[in-house]
Amino acid sequence: MAPPLDSSQPRLAAGCRWGGSDADRVILFPEGAIKLQGTGRQVLERCDGQRTFGEIIAELQKQFSDADPQKIRADITMFLEQLQKKRIVDY
Amino acid sequence: MIPNPLALIAEVTHRCPLHCVYCSNPLQLAGTESELSTEQWTSIFQQSGKLGMLHAHFTGGEPLARQDLTELMAAARAAGLYTNLITSGIGLGEQRLAALVAAGLDHIQVSFQDSREDSANWIAGTKAHAHKIELSSVIRRHKVAFTVNLVVHRQNLDHLEEMIAFIEQLNPDRVEIAHTQYYGWALANRAALMPTRAQVEAAVRIVEAAEKRLAGRVRIDSVVPDYYAKYPKACMGGWGRRLMLINPTGKVLPCHAAEVIPGMMFENVREKTLECIWRESASFNRFRGEEWMPEPCRSCDRRAEDFGGCRCQAFLLAADATVTDPACSLAPTHGMVEAAIREANSDAGVASPKTASSFVQLQRETSRLWDYRTNPE
Repeated sequence: MAPPLDSSQPRLAAGCRWGGSDADRVILFPEGAIKLQGTGRQVLERCDGQRTFGEIIAELQKQFSDADPQKIRADITMFLEQLQKKRIVDY
Repeated sequence: MIPNPLALIAEVTHRCPLHCVYCSNPLQLAGTESELSTEQWTSIFQQSGKLGMLHAHFTGGEPLARQDLTELMAAARAAGLYTNLITSGIGLGEQRLAALVAAGLDHIQVSFQDSREDSANWIAGTKAHAHKIELSSVIRRHKVAFTVNLVVHRQNLDHLEEMIAFIEQLNPDRVEIAHTQYYGWALANRAALMPTRAQVEAAVRIVEAAEKRLAGRVRIDSVVPDYYAKYPKACMGGWGRRLMLINPTGKVLPCHAAEVIPGMMFENVREKTLECIWRESASFNRFRGEEWMPEPCRSCDRRAEDFGGCRCQAFLLAADATVTDPACSLAPTHGMVEAAIREANSDAGVASPKTASSFVQLQRETSRLWDYRTNPE
């Protein structure tokens, strides 16, 4: 599968939704859940089907302006590709 | 400190229109009279949410046999649980599905017995296959995630590729390919269901190829046949570690089969809270941790991974729930599993009926092959 395009709009895949408490947010899917903290949570909270992949990257590059922007892009791309393979994210 | 349970398995009824020969229900089924009420289930879901559980898996029997299923679904969802309906689909049409989805159904899992109609009906002991196909297209018109579950065994494994191709056409989000596990009715019918080694090895290759081909499109989860594995399965993720099962009468069990273990007393939600049963009951504490473990588990590096395997299987095969699961190659009782494998692979192994036969012919030809699951009184 290909990585997301800048124009694609990542969203949670069918059957996946947020759950748990605010302090302990998880993504629920048919046979399990993943706990999300830190940057993983920040990325996924932006995968709302509205924002484009390009916008998500720009927002996080701005927020973490100390880090190398190219590395941020590469990390987020890899993260979403992995979740797409697991059928947690679609783009 | 005992961590919170993660999921509730709600066995809401034992009534079922199907008679699958590998049903995981106990041989002693609970009757309608003894089933919990709508209010009692509602309280269970509320307690489950408060206990930190994330999922409610509705199963049976056939959950749709309960007239109040939509109410139960709404109650589970209101308690914050992710709701999963495990069903044959019999009793479900467009209208009822729409009501369930509106009540908060997140995910529906429909089981298929085979890709070939006559064979599927033969395994289920009733004509259900055509309805399931029709239902699949109805499901895709609603906003609910869809898994197709396929139970595989000696009688259908030879055309696994055909079955996967058939399932793909149903357009599910996820596929579960589950080798039969030998409890309840499946254990009684084991000789007819146990695959040969060649079938198991071919199945591994076929599933791997399908996973690769469908990656990113359909997720495939598989349940491996533990008799052919080197180490036992971590049954239920460990006794009293993740899951609570409530049977139709309100008994709280660590797994589907636990009632077979003699000398165990299981508490009932009619008398105690879920939290109390989870933390304090003798039954949930019986095989928690490592204190109970015999050798070779006690000194084994894998004890925190498989927890000694399945307690029910230890009892069912070795007549002792406290020994290492006989499916483990290191178990002193592993010989019994090896003997079952030898039998399944011998020339005298159970023959399969001609696949060209009709449902009625198949049933007639195989009347002594297996026993169909019955229905509760």
